[in-house]
Amino acid sequence: MAAVTGEVSWFCCGSAWGPCASTGRGACGTCTSGNFQHAWPNASAACLAITRPDVCGTPLSRRTCGFVHYTTNLCNGARVGTSIADCGPQTDLFCGERACCGSACGTNRIIDLTPAAYSAIASLSTGLRPCSVDTV
Amino acid sequence: MTTTMDRRRLLSTAVLGGAGIAGATALGSLAPEAALAAEPVKVSPGAPDPNFAEGRVTSITGSVVLLAGSDGALHRIQVTNGTSIWKFQPTTFDRLEKGDGMYVRGVRLPDGTLAADSLWANIVNLTAHIVSVGRNVLHLDHHGRRLIGHVVPGTTAAVYNGTPAISDVSLLRVGGHVQVIGVWHPDTNEISIATVYAAN
Repeated sequence: MAAVTGEVSWFCCGSAWGPCASTGRGACGTCTSGNFQHAWPNASAACLAITRPDVCGTPLSRRTCGFVHYTTNLCNGARVGTSIADCGPQTDLFCGERACCGSACGTNRIIDLTPAAYSAIASLSTGLRPCSVDTV
Repeated sequence: MTTTMDRRRLLSTAVLGGAGIAGATALGSLAPEAALAAEPVKVSPGAPDPNFAEGRVTSITGSVVLLAGSDGALHRIQVTNGTSIWKFQPTTFDRLEKGDGMYVRGVRLPDGTLAADSLWANIVNLTAHIVSVGRNVLHLDHHGRRLIGHVVPGTTAAVYNGTPAISDVSLLRVGGHVQVIGVWHPDTNEISIATVYAAN
């Protein structure tokens, strides 16, 4: 898979406090906020039917639970490797959305990282960053 | 001195108010974006990150915060003058309180203490849809649960479909989908909204 450029955000899963307490362990049943994991919009046919990145012009390959992606924060070049633990983000709800750091931009939400993984490449308070995602 | 000074030694000596903090200043900011860009991540994909902790504050003694992890683990967090602290906005150590929920990133010291580079108190990142809009308040549905989102005039920012953030939240519409970065009010269903990202 060639690197895909888009947007990265974060989500909580597993045991948690506050509003996150109701989120559960994700579609793969393994998701934990403290692990290097992520949600992927095409983790299954049922998942893709919900997230629909294709309708935003960003078709993504089918990758199932445990598959490893590497996400690079285009704002600072920091990179993290994570495995699929959930379905998401719901790309079609934010179709065409664009995040930039100067001239480095990403369009459409393509991956959500756990707090542990996102905080390894960006501050959690940023919420959204342009990124590239690849498999090596 | 080179800039490759051992980070564990730096953070273990840079105790809040301690003499070692000059070293932190000499090395530059420990703010997350700068620190993270400088240090490669060595945790295997899928694995727990030993340099990360989450949980709720059970006590604060001096510059040490004890966290009860949601999974039952206990974490001892050492805050330093170089720790970046966020609670609705960048803030100071004295704003932390018992009962706060927390995510912490830092360096695990040999005794198991996590020396904090960055600490986020009560931060939430939620996707929801807007059920109703009131004066300085959004009523949100988050996975079937109602949340009250307080708009803080002068602080809350709105981002409409990727455009630059503005303070005007009047373009938000009932039924619209949003992503909210905010702070949870502990033990309630209320949050204060730092940034709201609105979908099409």
